[in-house]
Amino acid sequence: MASSRCLISTRSGRWSAWALGLLLSASVGAQTSDSLDWGDDDGWGDDPWAADNQGWQWFGFVEGAWAERIQNDPLVPDDQTLAEARAQIETQRVFENYTVEAKADLWADGVENDTQAELRALHVDTTLGEQIDIRAGRQILTWGTGDLVFLNDLFPKDYQAFFSGRNNEYLKAPTDAIKLSWYGNLTMDLVWLPRANPNRFITGERLSSFSPRAGTRVAAPPKIDPIERDELIDDSELALRLSQSINGVEYAGYAYTGYDKQPSGFDRQQQKAYFPRLSVFGASIRRSAFDGIVNAETAYHSAADSSGDDPDEPNSQWRFLAGYEHEPVSNLTLGWQYYLQWTQDHAALVSSLPQEQKPFASDEYRHVLTNRLTWQLLRQDLTLSMFTFFSPSDADYYLRPRAEYRFSDQLTGTLGGNLFGGEDDWTFYSQLENNSNVYARLRYQF
Amino acid sequence: MSLSRLMLITLASSLALTTQSAWSEPLTQASEIVERANIASYYAGDDGRSAARMMIVDGDNRQRRQFTLLRKDVNDGADQRYLVVFSRPADIRGTVFRVEKHVGEGDDRWLYLPALDLVKRIAAGDKRTSFVGSHFYYEDISGRSIDLDNHQLIETTDEHYRIESTPKDPSNVEFARYQTWINRDTLLPMRTDYFRDSDEVFRRMEVTRVETIDGYPTGTEMRMSDLDSGGYTVTQFRFSEYNVGLPDNIFSERSLRNPPRDWLQRN
Repeated sequence: MASSRCLISTRSGRWSAWALGLLLSASVGAQTSDSLDWGDDDGWGDDPWAADNQGWQWFGFVEGAWAERIQNDPLVPDDQTLAEARAQIETQRVFENYTVEAKADLWADGVENDTQAELRALHVDTTLGEQIDIRAGRQILTWGTGDLVFLNDLFPKDYQAFFSGRNNEYLKAPTDAIKLSWYGNLTMDLVWLPRANPNRFITGERLSSFSPRAGTRVAAPPKIDPIERDELIDDSELALRLSQSINGVEYAGYAYTGYDKQPSGFDRQQQKAYFPRLSVFGASIRRSAFDGIVNAETAYHSAADSSGDDPDEPNSQWRFLAGYEHEPVSNLTLGWQYYLQWTQDHAALVSSLPQEQKPFASDEYRHVLTNRLTWQLLRQDLTLSMFTFFSPSDADYYLRPRAEYRFSDQLTGTLGGNLFGGEDDWTFYSQLENNSNVYARLRYQF
Repeated sequence: MSLSRLMLITLASSLALTTQSAWSEPLTQASEIVERANIASYYAGDDGRSAARMMIVDGDNRQRRQFTLLRKDVNDGADQRYLVVFSRPADIRGTVFRVEKHVGEGDDRWLYLPALDLVKRIAAGDKRTSFVGSHFYYEDISGRSIDLDNHQLIETTDEHYRIESTPKDPSNVEFARYQTWINRDTLLPMRTDYFRDSDEVFRRMEVTRVETIDGYPTGTEMRMSDLDSGGYTVTQFRFSEYNVGLPDNIFSERSLRNPPRDWLQRN
C-alpha cells in the first residue's frame, strides 16, 4: 500500500511539474513587446458582441494542485487530500436566439489514483418573448444571501472539493436542470431537476468524518454508499424563487420540494443511508445600510419526520441568518454573519436515540458566527483572505486562510488551508479535524 | 474605464453645447467650469455604449482588461446606471458589474461571478481604490462629486482653463490638491495633476485622444500614470455611441446573469 501510494504521488508530481513547466513557459512567452502591444486584429475582437459572428469560442485552463494533511489521519492512507493536474476546456457559441455553452474537466488524480473527467456544463440558453429566459441542461445554480452559508439554496454543493483544497468555484456541483426565469413586476425563477441531485458529501474515500452509529470517526472502506434517488421524473426536485427589488432593497421568497442534499436518513432494512424527503420555505432581504451591505434570511426545512421522534431521520429545522459586510479601511473588506439552526422537536429526537448515540445528538440551537476578511494589495494582484466559521454552541471552528497572487493575466498562484478543530470529536467542524490541510495551486488560463 | 469614457462622452457633449460660449467669452467662474466639465465628462447624451480596453503597465508586467460599458443617466449631473460586462482576461471573462450611482450618498453595486452563478452585492467602500487592478480609481471612472472639493480658477489660456481643487476633507483622500487643465472648447479635462503636501506631483491623468462622437467630443484614449513607480494604465474606448435608447430594465439582475446581447452588440 505504502509503495503504491508513493508511486501515485510520484506520478501526479510529474504531472504537476509538467503542467507547471507549460504554464511558466507560456507566461514568459506572453510578455515580450516593449511598446503597447494590444495583440492581433488590434485586440478588439475578443468580446462576444463584436460585429461578426465568431463561431465557437474556446477558453480554458491547466492547473496543478496539491494539498497535504497537517497531521496524520489514522483512517485515511493518503497524506494528501488533493494531488492533481487538471485541464478545463470551455466553449460557447451563439446561434441566433440560442447560446450553447459547454465546459469539461479532465484531471489526473493522485489521491484516487486514476484519471477522471467531468462535464461541468452543457446548456442551451434562449429567450421567449420579452420576459422569459430559459436555460436547459447541465449548469451551476446559486441563490440566497448567505456567504458560504446556505439556507434556501438547495442546489448541490461539492463539500469534498471545498474541504480538500480545490478552488472555490468547485464548491458548486453541476446540476441537470431546466431553469425558467420570468421577468415581470416581480421576478420568478423556477428550476426543475428531473432527477434528484444530492451534494457531493463526504464518502470516506478522501476525507474522514464522524459516525454517530459507529460512535467514532470513520473513513472508507466501507465508503458511505446511500440508496440513490436516481429515478427520472419520480425523483424530481423543484425550486422556486420570487424576487423583487424596490429602491435598492432586495426581497425574495423561496420554496423547494425534493430531497435532503445529504444522506441524512438511515434505512434499517437495507442498512444503508438514504436521502429523506425535504420541503423548504423561506425568505430573504438584502440592502445597503450602515455604510455596508446588510442581509437577513430565514428558511423552514420541513422534514418527513413530522413528529420528530424517528432516530433514523432528521427533524424539521428553522434556520436564520443575519449578515453585514463593509469596507472599514481601503482595500480591506470585512463580512460578519450570525447563523442559527434550530432543530424542532429536539427532546423527542434525543429521547428516541439509542443510549449510546445520545451524546452525539446536535444541540437544539446550533449557533455559528462567521467572519470573512479580504485584503487586496499590490493593486489587486495580491489578495489575502481569511474565512472563519466558529460555533460557540458546538465549541468548534473551521478556518480558511488564503493568499492568491496574479503573476499575470494568465498565471495565478494560490496558497491556503482548511483548518478544522474543536472540543469534541463529533461536532460539525471538529469531526473533520484530521482532514486539516494546507494547499498550493497554480493555474494558467487561456 | 467605461465610466471615464462615458464621462468623456458627456464631457464631449457638454463641450458641444458650450462651444459657442467659449468661442466668444471665456468663463470666469470656477464653479461653472467645473460643473460643465463634469457634465461633459460623465453625462454626454441620455445614455451611452462603448467598448473599452486597458493596458496596465508595471515594469515588465503588462495586464489587459477589456469590457463593454452601458450607461444611462437618471438625471443629468446626478444619478446614473452602469452595466460593465468583462470579456478579458480569462479569469474575469463573463463577470458583470452593475452600479447604481447616487450622487451624495453611497452607490449600489453588484457583481456577478459566472463560475458560481453568484450575484454578490458589494459594499460601497472607498472610491479611491483601483478599478479592476488598473491605475485608474473607481472615482476616475464614475466621476468625483464636485461638491467634495473647493475649486479655484487659477489660469485661463487660449486653450485651457486651469482649475485648482482642494479637498474639503483631506483625511479621505491621498492627495493634498489637484490641478485640472480643461479645454475651453470642449470643456473636457485634458490633464489632471495630483499633488502631495510637498507640492510634488505624484499622479497624472492625460487625455491623449479626443474624437467627436454623435456630436459629443469624447476622450477616447487616456493615460493614468503613477509618477513614483513609473507604472501607468492606458485606456482606449472604441465603438462608442450616444443616445442609443437603452431601456431602464436592462440595468437589473437579469442582465447580470444574462447580459443584454441586443444592446451590447456592436453595429
